[in-house]
Amino acid sequence: MPSTCSTQRSSIYAPRLCRLLEVSDLTPQEKLFRLQLEDGSVLNHQPGQFVQVSIPGLTEAPISVASSPSRNGYFELGVRKAGSLTGAMHLLQPGATIGIRGPFGRPFQIDALRKRHLILLAGGCGLAPLRSLIQYCQDYPEQFGTIDILYGARSPQDLLFKDDLLQWRLSACFSCTYTVDNDPADSCYDGETGLITRLLPKLQIAPADTCAVVVGPPPMYRPVIEALHDKGLPSDRIMLSLERNMRCGIGKCGHCTIEHLYCCSDGPIFWLNEVEHLRGAL
Amino acid sequence: MKHMQRAELDSLLTHVAQSYRLLVPQRLEDGTRLLRPWGEGELVLSGEPVQRKPTEYFLPQLDPLLKIDTAGGVQLATVPETPLCLFGLNRADLQCLGFVDRFCAFPPQDDAYAVKRQNGLLIGLTGYCGPDGQLLPLTDGRCDIELIALADGWLAQAFTDIGSALLAEFNDIDPETLGTIRSLSEKRIAEERATLEQAARIVQQELVPDDFWREIGDRCILCSGCNLVCPTCTCFCVQDRTDQGGTERSRVWDSCQFDGFMREASGHNPLGSEALRTRRRIHHKLAADVERWGEISCFLCGRCDKTCPTGIGIQAVAAEIVKRFSTN
Repeated sequence: MPSTCSTQRSSIYAPRLCRLLEVSDLTPQEKLFRLQLEDGSVLNHQPGQFVQVSIPGLTEAPISVASSPSRNGYFELGVRKAGSLTGAMHLLQPGATIGIRGPFGRPFQIDALRKRHLILLAGGCGLAPLRSLIQYCQDYPEQFGTIDILYGARSPQDLLFKDDLLQWRLSACFSCTYTVDNDPADSCYDGETGLITRLLPKLQIAPADTCAVVVGPPPMYRPVIEALHDKGLPSDRIMLSLERNMRCGIGKCGHCTIEHLYCCSDGPIFWLNEVEHLRGAL
Repeated sequence: MKHMQRAELDSLLTHVAQSYRLLVPQRLEDGTRLLRPWGEGELVLSGEPVQRKPTEYFLPQLDPLLKIDTAGGVQLATVPETPLCLFGLNRADLQCLGFVDRFCAFPPQDDAYAVKRQNGLLIGLTGYCGPDGQLLPLTDGRCDIELIALADGWLAQAFTDIGSALLAEFNDIDPETLGTIRSLSEKRIAEERATLEQAARIVQQELVPDDFWREIGDRCILCSGCNLVCPTCTCFCVQDRTDQGGTERSRVWDSCQFDGFMREASGHNPLGSEALRTRRRIHHKLAADVERWGEISCFLCGRCDKTCPTGIGIQAVAAEIVKRFSTN
């Protein structure tokens, strides 16, 4: 006789409740949400991982964790208003609850970054996941070599984490440079202007001791990679976070495949030499 | 190896039905066969493969996952306590189920699939029970019991402990004819798979030009039938249905042939053309799954080729690839 199936089970598809501690505006389109798991447990994530945010009635959306696990007691999500779920998130006030599943995905390979000169490069919303690594480096500076943060946005008002950028510029841990594609004449912006690739030739790189981490919108990858190759950095020293339409987060729903890889579980962090030969990866 | 006559087969199924929700092939008005509850219609032991894919019993088209109440509490969907027995599956369908079992079990396990699949029983039906009594190739053991149809009854072999226990009371036999059936079966399998495997090698070597995928894509009418009938297609999207009591979250079969399948919130779409989506459908089965899981994930069940209104099911496309791009 077969045994019967138990309905008392846990499920990888069940969201956990989180309480919203703080909400702050990053730009007119982006907000930062500080959250805590309702049951008091910690998220236990690693820099580079993501969660599936769940709002009943609006299903789920994958959002990268924007804070380091070394910042105890909470985690943060930087969210652009891009659809119905993220639009609903932008209406939430502190004290509200949302669901999350995760953390999911392969994180930044921190062991491979230790003791090396790091180039941490982000474009647009890519600064949100990269911030989890930057904060980690800030909290454990003794583990890493010199760190260059390079950030590009479309315009001064699109720059994310402006307070952090200022803090990183002043920090002894980092050299931080940012640029915008377009600077309107009436802005008070005092940073660089032009595409992010313009920042790379100025860097002093010893390729044997350097790793680059690149997170940005898909069109940014090829020119940035070309510029890093021009500086002598090989593909096995360039780490990427790839954006895909992740619906389940656990390699089952099929929406994020890159040939034989599942971006949600094999990534989203990849070494360039793992994906550069795969069609559609970049 | 056991041997049984029709009365003994009925006795076996009656016994199985005491512990399982037993589904068996039955004839529909249109002449096709479908798995339906034992006892609700006439058991049809030969003919075309069953119409719908067997994996749908464990990963259904609309698969309720959980309910979220208004306070955020989560209650998982319940499943019938009595496990399922599927009877009458052929070699290809059992291979498809085995492939999906492995895919869903890969960590983290897909518990929504596992809870329906666990303790289930699979009984294969092969031998001379195809259309007009043609030979159906023997299974590769991906079932609990295999019944092999002969002119004078069925040979029965068990591949699991549960299968052995169910067959214990039947008469042992030293099957003289099995060797012949096995060699005919292997010959048939090799013939059937030759074109698919050759096409797979061509796709794996990236010898198929983009123009070909564009041409096949131009013939696709985006009905998604190929995906919906394919037993190894498992892609799904998630939908919520909300009423006053809360929200029911379900997963629903999705199709990689739809423009929105991979489109991201930013608007970036890695599969932004019919050519790319057509390549994905074929490449995934013939190359990507070989790289990841070690086997082609098409087992030639034939459903997509029967379903496709424009003749671009996987076997038709594979034949076209071999014809046009084979270097042999």
